[in-house]
Amino acid sequence: MKIKELIKGDAGFQYVVDSMELMSAAGRRKLLDTEWSTDTAWLDAEWDRLEKAIAAVHEYKYKKPYIDLRHCLMQLHDLRGTLASLANHTPLNEVELFELKSLAQLCRNATGAIEGLGMGDLLPLPDLDRVFEILDPDHTGIANFYIYDSYDPRLGPLRRELSALQIAGDNPERIAALLAEQSEIQSEVCLRLSDELVRWAPTLSEALEQMAYCDLLFAKAELSIAWNLTRPAVGKKTAFSGLVNPRLKQRNEATGLRYQPVDISIEHGVTLITGANMAGKTVLLKSIGSAQCMVQCGMYAPAEKAETMLFDSVATSIGDDQDEMNGLSSYAAEIIKISDIVRRSRTEHLLVLIDEPARTTNPTEGKAIVQALIGIMQKAASATLITTHYGQLGGDCRRLRVKGFVEDMSDLPLNPRNINLFIDYSLTEDASGEVPHEALRIASILGCDEELLKKAKESL
Amino acid sequence: MPFVQEILKHRSLSIVGLEKNTGKTVCLNYILRRLDELGVPVGVTSIGVDGEQVDSVFATAKPEVTLYEGTRFITSEQHYLKRQAVSVLEHVDSRRTALGPLVTARVLVRGKVLLSGAATTGVLRGQIAQLGNAGCRLAIVDGALSRLSLASPTVTDCMVLATGAAVSANLKQLVAKTRFLHSLICLDEVSPTLREALGQVEQGLWGVDDEGVPHDLGIASVFLIGSAGGDLLRYGHTLFASGAVSDRLLKALTPLGKDITLVARDFTKLFITPEVYNDFTRKGNRLMMLQRSKLIAVTLNPTSPQGFLLDSRNACDALSDALQTPVYDVMKIEQ
Repeated sequence: MKIKELIKGDAGFQYVVDSMELMSAAGRRKLLDTEWSTDTAWLDAEWDRLEKAIAAVHEYKYKKPYIDLRHCLMQLHDLRGTLASLANHTPLNEVELFELKSLAQLCRNATGAIEGLGMGDLLPLPDLDRVFEILDPDHTGIANFYIYDSYDPRLGPLRRELSALQIAGDNPERIAALLAEQSEIQSEVCLRLSDELVRWAPTLSEALEQMAYCDLLFAKAELSIAWNLTRPAVGKKTAFSGLVNPRLKQRNEATGLRYQPVDISIEHGVTLITGANMAGKTVLLKSIGSAQCMVQCGMYAPAEKAETMLFDSVATSIGDDQDEMNGLSSYAAEIIKISDIVRRSRTEHLLVLIDEPARTTNPTEGKAIVQALIGIMQKAASATLITTHYGQLGGDCRRLRVKGFVEDMSDLPLNPRNINLFIDYSLTEDASGEVPHEALRIASILGCDEELLKKAKESL
Repeated sequence: MPFVQEILKHRSLSIVGLEKNTGKTVCLNYILRRLDELGVPVGVTSIGVDGEQVDSVFATAKPEVTLYEGTRFITSEQHYLKRQAVSVLEHVDSRRTALGPLVTARVLVRGKVLLSGAATTGVLRGQIAQLGNAGCRLAIVDGALSRLSLASPTVTDCMVLATGAAVSANLKQLVAKTRFLHSLICLDEVSPTLREALGQVEQGLWGVDDEGVPHDLGIASVFLIGSAGGDLLRYGHTLFASGAVSDRLLKALTPLGKDITLVARDFTKLFITPEVYNDFTRKGNRLMMLQRSKLIAVTLNPTSPQGFLLDSRNACDALSDALQTPVYDVMKIEQ
């Protein structure tokens, strides 16, 4: 699965991808085309390159080679269409030939910049000097282009006559004839040049792709530095220490709110996560999902320390997919997703993240569905995290609880704005199977109507 | 040679027409020829698609733009490939238009060129800067259709206004319509201090207090203005509309009393009709500009696309009288 599909998921990976500052459209394409990888060797090699790129950014951030490289990448055009035409022997026009000449020059400049960064071995670019020479018959060394007089002996005299007639402003018939002839010759030259360049098509494509990759690699490096990401290690289990949700962390920091990273280890089988409302259960699932996407797409992880198993895929049911237009209620949309996950888990090694399954139907049947889900996923070769408010769910699955509200909060001056100061978002093992009963108290902090609260308490 | 010297005091020029077929291209050709004679390096681009050989609405023959040696121009790939001038490509933009990417080239042997350009003023501003950086002393923007936005002083430093029989075959109406737009272009500017204070404002309708400090009136849209009433004047009688000024806004302000000064960003933000504007000013209110466009000249095309021909001398005189500014017949200055 490619990043362009992964970002459609509900784990919030889109935010990560949108935060990357690519210099070129080709680099963005490269990013979106990145495949979810289960290949440890590739991931390790990619993290090696990323590590070197990060070191290079640290060392050269405001220095010439790095500025030069970014400048080159900013000018990179995605010439896939032109290169495909070239490879198919379609004659290129003047503008397309200009683009190839620019690419050749960019490639030369980028090579110099990459060597300046000490990464020449890691990011080798092909030599396109011959392409530049073909498109620079007058040896100007400048990436301008037109059908130079030196391409065809007829052009010089023709243009001199044309110029003289244009300046004199007479003989429009002769001017028209000369323009037609010039156009003919130019077409011939374009055809000839295209023929000559055909064999360079693969090399030009390689240069384009390698520069696009270069753009991607340094965008990942910049993001790793800005977000303080960590190089993950592939292991037999998944354990994040100090895991953060980049989006929430940024938002909290911008608004002066506290952000608390969490530690979590993920094992095969089912882990049931309970916790009060507002304790960050949904955010936790999204953080894990998006971190796993980052890791398996060759990025660093948003944690202080990260060790992960490699999954075939991440399967999520987070958030409300109610879609009246499709005639689907919240419950229907959810059940479709969950049953799809169950089916896939029979053949794939999945990281499954399910947020409060069956919460929108009656508690009796809802609980039964969750119980069945736990039973099936417990036996599947996947790691499954399920958050829930249902208590006393059976089975011998692992249970974690978000610690939630600190001690006794009855005396604290709580309000919806400062409530997050009094929540401990960290996780603790909890074998009791009990769930917190704090819904009314939280409703009260949120300023819920007195009568509603009172009536609710009475009927408890 | 009329008005070309005046143009040279500026870095960018827009040529806008009251209507299609008011002779913008003829006027541009005249200016380009004069500037070539003076040896001034110029750059040319357009907003939207223009310079087609045959007018796409009336199917009448249209003069093409002739560019001289050394001129830089920006056009789309499709139009570039159809050029008659010999020119060398210097830049290809990564943004694409319907006619391919925009390209920048320098003319080696003079000839006719089809101009097309960016559709937004933001991109246009970038292109004017790009032409300046490439060594052009003056960047000229050819208008398309009856678009005025390119003449905003935030885009180009000065403008030439083209009018003609295409606006109205009735001389009286032609004069009235041209005079109205001309009067808007020539509205007074606010003081530099107020301009600085209002320059920071990005959106909405603002009231200016006695100290010249703007306060947001909290009106997100002119459509919501009706309920605000006299409250609009709570900070003072000077108001600033950061976006478009429409008839609706003027109509809402007119009954509120007199001595209201409504400040608009520039004349391209005015979408008002003479009747409503006259009602507004008759009550003792007035309209001012944050920044005024520098109008260099008014040109007249006496021919309408339907073939109607105005008496050139008569029309130029009538317009000159009404506008108190010289008006040139484009067909004659070109000869």
